[in-house]
Amino acid sequence: MIEVKDAVKRFDGFAALDGASLSVPDGSVYGLVGPNGAGKSTLIRHLTGIYRQDSGTVRMGGADVWEDAELKRRVAAIPDDWYYFNQASIRDMMRFYRGFYPRFSVERYEKLKEVFNIDEKKTIRRLSKGMQKQVAFWLALSCMPDYLILDEPVDGLDPVMRRQVWSLMMGDVSERGTTVLVSSHNLRELEDVCDHVGIMDHGRVLLERSLAQLQDNMVKLQVVFPDGMTEVPPELPVLHSSRIGRIHTLIMRMNAQEATERLTGYHPMLVDAVPLTLEEIFIYELGGADYAVKDIVL
Amino acid sequence: MSWEVRTMQSKTSYFNGTLFRRNLSRFWPLWGLASFLGALVPLALLLQTLRRSAEGYPAENALSFTNFYYGAVGYALPVISLLYAILCAMVVWNYLYNSRSVGLMHSLPIRREGLFLTNFLSGMAMLLIPYVVTGGLCVLYSLLYGCFDLTGLAVTVAAVLGESLFYFGSATLVAFLVGNVFALPALYFLLHFLAVLLDWLVSAFSRGFLFGVSGDYSGTVEWLSPTVYLLRRVQPVCTYEEVSRRTESTGEIWYEHVLTEVHLEGLWVVGVYALAGLVMLALAWLLYRRRRSESAGDVVAVGPVKPLFRFGLAALAALLGGIALYELFWQNLTGGRYFEALPMVVCMAAAGAIGYYGASMLLAKSLRVFRGSWKGLALVLCACAALCGALEFDLPGVEKRVPEQEEVETVDLQVAGNSYTFYPEEEEALLEQVRTLHSAIAAERDSIIERQESWWGETDRETMVRLRLTYRLKNGRMVKRSYDLPLSQERMAQAGTYENLLDALINGEAMKAKRLHLNDPEYQAAGGYLYRNADNRDFDLNSREAAAILEALGQDVQEGTWGTHDWFTHDNRNDYAVDLNLYFHQTGDPEDGPVDVAEERISIRLRPAMRHTIACLRELGLVTEDTLRTYGELYPEDFDEAADAIAQEDTVAVTAVYS
Repeated sequence: MIEVKDAVKRFDGFAALDGASLSVPDGSVYGLVGPNGAGKSTLIRHLTGIYRQDSGTVRMGGADVWEDAELKRRVAAIPDDWYYFNQASIRDMMRFYRGFYPRFSVERYEKLKEVFNIDEKKTIRRLSKGMQKQVAFWLALSCMPDYLILDEPVDGLDPVMRRQVWSLMMGDVSERGTTVLVSSHNLRELEDVCDHVGIMDHGRVLLERSLAQLQDNMVKLQVVFPDGMTEVPPELPVLHSSRIGRIHTLIMRMNAQEATERLTGYHPMLVDAVPLTLEEIFIYELGGADYAVKDIVL
Repeated sequence: MSWEVRTMQSKTSYFNGTLFRRNLSRFWPLWGLASFLGALVPLALLLQTLRRSAEGYPAENALSFTNFYYGAVGYALPVISLLYAILCAMVVWNYLYNSRSVGLMHSLPIRREGLFLTNFLSGMAMLLIPYVVTGGLCVLYSLLYGCFDLTGLAVTVAAVLGESLFYFGSATLVAFLVGNVFALPALYFLLHFLAVLLDWLVSAFSRGFLFGVSGDYSGTVEWLSPTVYLLRRVQPVCTYEEVSRRTESTGEIWYEHVLTEVHLEGLWVVGVYALAGLVMLALAWLLYRRRRSESAGDVVAVGPVKPLFRFGLAALAALLGGIALYELFWQNLTGGRYFEALPMVVCMAAAGAIGYYGASMLLAKSLRVFRGSWKGLALVLCACAALCGALEFDLPGVEKRVPEQEEVETVDLQVAGNSYTFYPEEEEALLEQVRTLHSAIAAERDSIIERQESWWGETDRETMVRLRLTYRLKNGRMVKRSYDLPLSQERMAQAGTYENLLDALINGEAMKAKRLHLNDPEYQAAGGYLYRNADNRDFDLNSREAAAILEALGQDVQEGTWGTHDWFTHDNRNDYAVDLNLYFHQTGDPEDGPVDVAEERISIRLRPAMRHTIACLRELGLVTEDTLRTYGELYPEDFDEAADAIAQEDTVAVTAVYS
């Protein structure tokens, strides 16, 4: 289990993490989303032992991450700006990783060579950005980690390779119980793979739920009110509303059944509950946190 | 699916062989090139030996080869280690200065201690490999030519290890103070030479304000500039024996200096610096434990060091830039030997402000540092004004200070081309004369400055001499003074003036004997040099020749034909055109450190009246009737009236004439 509790990290007085807390169950795929500058990468650098929090705790499997070499042998990470030695080939980097990760599997490395199909003798800096990302996955997955921490992992990968990479990771999750924490702006993709989601803003995790809970907690309704009723009744707890012709689109923080029951009292001509996408949830949750989504029209 | 897992990890996390090997393989061009350059030394030695043996010279012996080792340790090792250590530190600690690389290294399953130790050992290995290559080839050479000396080799290895540890330790400490790869060498070299730079700056600054303060480098805290200190303190000391040889074919006897003993003086200094290197490594390790990865890219990575950097740079800029601006503008505009307080405050304030804001911009990595910084700037400006004010009014009381006799261990006096050392126990009266002279000079400060400012050049009745005094006190401190003293014949005749006191001191009988170190068991004539203008030939004199000349000079002193200094005579037309210098070797307390031969040298003007000395030189075959020509005979064109007049106007140099 990955557990962050009240983590605070300040850079020259600016709080990049301001009491962030999250909890990732073992064997789950956790999507960390948030606007630019929310603190996602900072949090991930704490999880990989690069940064040390000013206060709070950052733990994995019950142990503090900071300076725990034993624990870090079970953690592989792919940052958004993965580093490799300037003159190193893929094989050189493989030897380097193998020297640090005791569970590094050469056998898996050889098998993944067929998946990624990149000449391992090539200097990494001569590869395209997408191929460099593939190399990062190749090596990280060969480390046989219990925890996989990914920051914008599939940026630069083509759609086929994205699917391939996710498939490999999902295989690890199901077969080895790997816990994956992934930060991404590609919410549609996360929606397909994540079973838990945390939304970050201003250095805090605003909410974290399972995807099902999240989707059950907010609903999008398309409503046509009876003649003479042109405005949404003000007493309704609506997060956001818009109107095209007579059709009102309402976002309400409650489940579909409860929302439908509340609207029935106004005798609508039409009430249709539509599940929200993760992207919509993200936008409206952050809208509640003063995020500038007021002008976004669905 | 099950994956076979292979364990390749070493059990300890304090050292990682993969990283060690990776460092060496990544940066092989650095240590490879250094090794190649190092290997050229024994190769050159070999080629030289082959040439010399072809010419019939004997091969090196063990002592001379050890002297070669020690010479390398004394004169080359500190400089090479200084430069090479920072290159090695830059490559192994480079990952700290880039957020991507620091991210990779710190996310690896190895503790900071492991990274530190592995990278430190990698850097030391890179540093030592070229020495091993060079040393190994030198050992092969010495075995080949039978000049192997185990003691010499062991001492050299110890010195190399000690200095390498120190330099790499200091480079490592600096590496953890900074967060930028360009700041690393900049701060490293600044710190290594800061003491020397500050010494020079403070001396130059004090000299500009305070009458009599020597503007020379004092060397008081030279140990804080290790390269300079090592170069001066760690040196081979050789003992030579003068052996007479006879050429069989001609029967001619000649003397040869044969090396009989060599040792490396000051090896303990290397040991102390090696310990300091260990301490710095420990500090670096402590800094690494607390280092924040996010400091990658910052000029200064350690928070508490930031104000020190800001105000230190401001102070350095204020001193260095202040003097430069003052010399450039005010000095050129107004002239004068001493600084004026107000213009100097303005110059220092301008330079200090530049330094302060420059440092602030480097720390903030932004040009927008002006808002809210006025307090720091005000502090810098106040410090500049306070410093100038304190020196202008001599608040430390430097100008009037004359050390009491009981404080003094020795006094060095340099005047009119000669130097003298006084010991209070044996020369109480002479030392008191020196103190009285010093007090008289200090008392006449204002009139001396006035005469200096209105000085127009030497005449037959007026001249200028430089007098330097160095008191070594019993508490280990030194008081150094340097005065440019205008002298006039009228005042020299008046009792109590500094001119009168100076003449009485220098031309006293005791000082004449002292000048030649007669009856002084601590000094022996070590050799000399003679140059004959007449036929443009020069001779190196051995110790026997120098001793014979010295004895003859002593007889001339007794007859009064040498030794009295004439302050106002600048005409040498009647002197023989022969330059004669004698060197003394100090055989006194060896703990005083190596003898600076240049200070133990005396120049002798040869005049026709010095019959004993001339007879001695003739006997030694150093001069003949043909070569004993006066300057007037040899260069008559220099002594016609017109040339004389021009020379008098242009001459500013002070010449020492003994007649």
